[in-house]
Amino acid sequence: MSTSDPGHGEHASVATYIKVALVLTALTAIEVGAIYIRALTPILIPTLLVLSLAKFSLVLLFFMHLRYDTRTLSVVFVGPLLIALAVFLALIALIGAGMAPA
Amino acid sequence: MTVAALTERVAARSAGPGAPPAAGIRSWLTTVDHKRIGILYGVAAFAFFLLGGLEALLLRLQLAQPNGHVLGAQTFNALFTMHGTTMIFLAVMPASNAFFNYLIPLLLGARDVAFPRLNALSFWIFLFGGLFLNAAWLVGAPPDAGWFGYANLTSTQFSPGLGVDFWMLGLQVLGVSSMLAGVNFIVTILNLRAPGMTLMRMPVFVWMALVVQFLSILAFPTITVAMIMLMFDRFFGTRFYDVAAGGDLHMWQHLFWIFGHPEVYILILPAMGIVSEVVPVFARKPLFGAPVVIYSGALIGFFGFGVWSHHMFAAGMGPVADAAFAVSSMLIAIPTGVKIFNWLATLWGGALRLTAAMHYALGFIALFTIGGLSGIMHASPPVDLQQTDSYFVVAHFHYVLIGGSLSGLLAGLYYWWPKITGRRLDERLGKLQFWLFFVGFNLTFFPQHYLGAIGMPRRIYTYAAEPGWAFWNLVSTVGAFVLALSFLLLLVVAVASLRAAATAGNDPWDGRTLEWRTSSPPPVENFAALPPVYGRDTFWREKHGDRHGRRPTPAPAPPPGPSHLPSPSRLPILVAVGLVVAAAGALVSAWIVVAGLGFAVLALFRFALEHHANLAHAHQDGVTGVDHRKLGMWAFLGSECMFFGTLIAVYLAYKGRSVVGPRPHEILNIPVTTVSTFDLLMSSLVMVLALAAVRRGDARQTRRWLTWTALLGLIFLGFQAFEFTSFVREGLTLQRNLFGSTFFVLTGFHGGHVTLGVVWLLTLAILSLRGRLAATDAVKVEVAGLYWHFVDIVWIAIFTLIYLIP
Repeated sequence: MSTSDPGHGEHASVATYIKVALVLTALTAIEVGAIYIRALTPILIPTLLVLSLAKFSLVLLFFMHLRYDTRTLSVVFVGPLLIALAVFLALIALIGAGMAPA
Repeated sequence: MTVAALTERVAARSAGPGAPPAAGIRSWLTTVDHKRIGILYGVAAFAFFLLGGLEALLLRLQLAQPNGHVLGAQTFNALFTMHGTTMIFLAVMPASNAFFNYLIPLLLGARDVAFPRLNALSFWIFLFGGLFLNAAWLVGAPPDAGWFGYANLTSTQFSPGLGVDFWMLGLQVLGVSSMLAGVNFIVTILNLRAPGMTLMRMPVFVWMALVVQFLSILAFPTITVAMIMLMFDRFFGTRFYDVAAGGDLHMWQHLFWIFGHPEVYILILPAMGIVSEVVPVFARKPLFGAPVVIYSGALIGFFGFGVWSHHMFAAGMGPVADAAFAVSSMLIAIPTGVKIFNWLATLWGGALRLTAAMHYALGFIALFTIGGLSGIMHASPPVDLQQTDSYFVVAHFHYVLIGGSLSGLLAGLYYWWPKITGRRLDERLGKLQFWLFFVGFNLTFFPQHYLGAIGMPRRIYTYAAEPGWAFWNLVSTVGAFVLALSFLLLLVVAVASLRAAATAGNDPWDGRTLEWRTSSPPPVENFAALPPVYGRDTFWREKHGDRHGRRPTPAPAPPPGPSHLPSPSRLPILVAVGLVVAAAGALVSAWIVVAGLGFAVLALFRFALEHHANLAHAHQDGVTGVDHRKLGMWAFLGSECMFFGTLIAVYLAYKGRSVVGPRPHEILNIPVTTVSTFDLLMSSLVMVLALAAVRRGDARQTRRWLTWTALLGLIFLGFQAFEFTSFVREGLTLQRNLFGSTFFVLTGFHGGHVTLGVVWLLTLAILSLRGRLAATDAVKVEVAGLYWHFVDIVWIAIFTLIYLIP
């Protein structure tokens, strides 16, 4: 459920914010719990990354209001975010590839 | 007091519409007028350019003949280091900024930039940063490790003196200036366009400026991280570039060039934008394929982040990395070539007027193409292995930087000089100056292709007679002095012009864009009334119609009303002073650092609150419908993604490389960190409750939730302090191993961001307590909230990647 505020676009309601906070808490609990479950070890890293991405997105879309704001803000932020992610992955790959065997 | 009366008082304090600009040195020190700031940037850039040029002449004197005795090796190293650093950071970039500052509001049909005081702050930080860097000469410790400062030459083991410290601190200060300017111009370009000016109707120069600002805010964070790591290694004994501790010297090179390659596009794109304005005017034809030129510029900017390791083909990255970066480097030549062909197509069939500005624009096209051709050779790793570290590379980058960037900037100087000064530069002398420049430049640098090809390495302070390099080195030196003479002539031409009467008129070139629609120089408010926009090249359409000769229906004059002009402020220069004193203090005493930072913080508080009660500043919505401050914060957060992304990447790249323990799995306390993570997540919840409260005007709830957010932030910091102290007790310190260095720096900087956030939130809470935070101030709480939530999502990433992933 959302409320409107002329000149600022839609806003999420307080109830929505509390629901998001509860979901974030649950996802954090699942993340922490997952590292203690041996059966999940083969898929632990992708699981943690997906959960982390979900939390990241929830804060970005709801708390930071990007879901309700103009597309300009998404372009201004997400573009640099994607460049940062690409550079991040390339840097790990390049330095990792140059790593001497342990 | 009514809003109208308040606005009147504010307008009366500044140079109001139609009033002559304020005079005297104080007015220049406190100016926030973009035109004056542009002039300040231009004068400072030229002064530093002369200094960098003098350094170059000394280098050439030393190399004029074999076994030269003009300079010793150490001085030679310092001179090429400072020549490169000065020309890139203190001459070309600020010269581009001069044009951005002066022209962007005029080209957009705006009255000023989005954040005039921030604009002034950028300038003063740049100026004091440049002076600080050059103060190294005065204390006999000039930086001498190259403008690229490769590790571990820059370590205290191999560079024990103050030179590298000056360089490292100076560049970090300059980086702050670039970041602030970047955010400012992104918001200005997106939000302050005149009605009717869509993005695709903007002049190409403005588009190139927009791309450059994004490049700046995304590239500088990476070199900032590299410098922070170097600073910590030098001052605190961390291990980032310590090979014996598991560090990788490639790390510096990667981080430097992730910045360094976008940096070269920051240097060239403004010049390309200028040429895209000058050529159509003096060909009396619209720019051929303007949208394609725009897209090409944007593509160059974007792909510029994917080619950096072509500076490292000889560093031993391996065939896969070499091949990947070779392909990307060759691909980036395509949009560059597209621009060249579009300029040529613009010239084709045009009614050419060969003014001095046009000479430089044509010179740009020719010389940049030559530089580009040598560049595409470097894109091939096997060829580059022959050329790298030789004078062939020196020739390449001087062709693109002098033949390219500088030619473009000089074209802009000749083109816009009448607008800025109201006077014209002597065309005859200007063309003579161009030819002196052109001949001198080619004499200096063309032979260097040959010298490199026959084996002369770069960065050598002398050479023997046997290899046969002497003759062309002498020719190059003669060329350098001819080039210097051309700049002396430029000074003469400029001074003579300033002494003459102001007779240029509004539109001496029959221009195409909005700056020619106002007087020369423009009034303080730029335009008596905001100009109408009829399309791309809007002023041309207004004067001459479209290509069918159809003139647009004149837009109705806007209703008269007070235009709010920004008031002068002394706070920008004071903040800059504090910052540079802190940087200088790092070389002398921690107390001076504290004093400098304290002064800067106090000045920043006053800066932030200077217009807090000014109703004229309450609403700053722009064309995008977004408040300037909110848009600026989102742009800044984009750059923070690069900053933290780089720090986290360094941590992960170095993971498992510590030679000694303790190691992460032995020491990280996941249960305790889980609690602190939950705490930070909940702080984001109460932050949005604070925003909702301020929007509905509930002061009590606003204060409560702001205070709770700050308190939860303090609790998080308490957890972090507990973690840090327990780690130290268990033997993990900054200096212990790579894990200690990367962990403490990453989480420490995150903690620093949290601390800043807490201070910000408490300030807002106190304002609310004093009845000075109303619903009209909601955007200020929103902006603080965006920052706070971002700090939270960075922690989400850190918690998973550093703590949870084994």
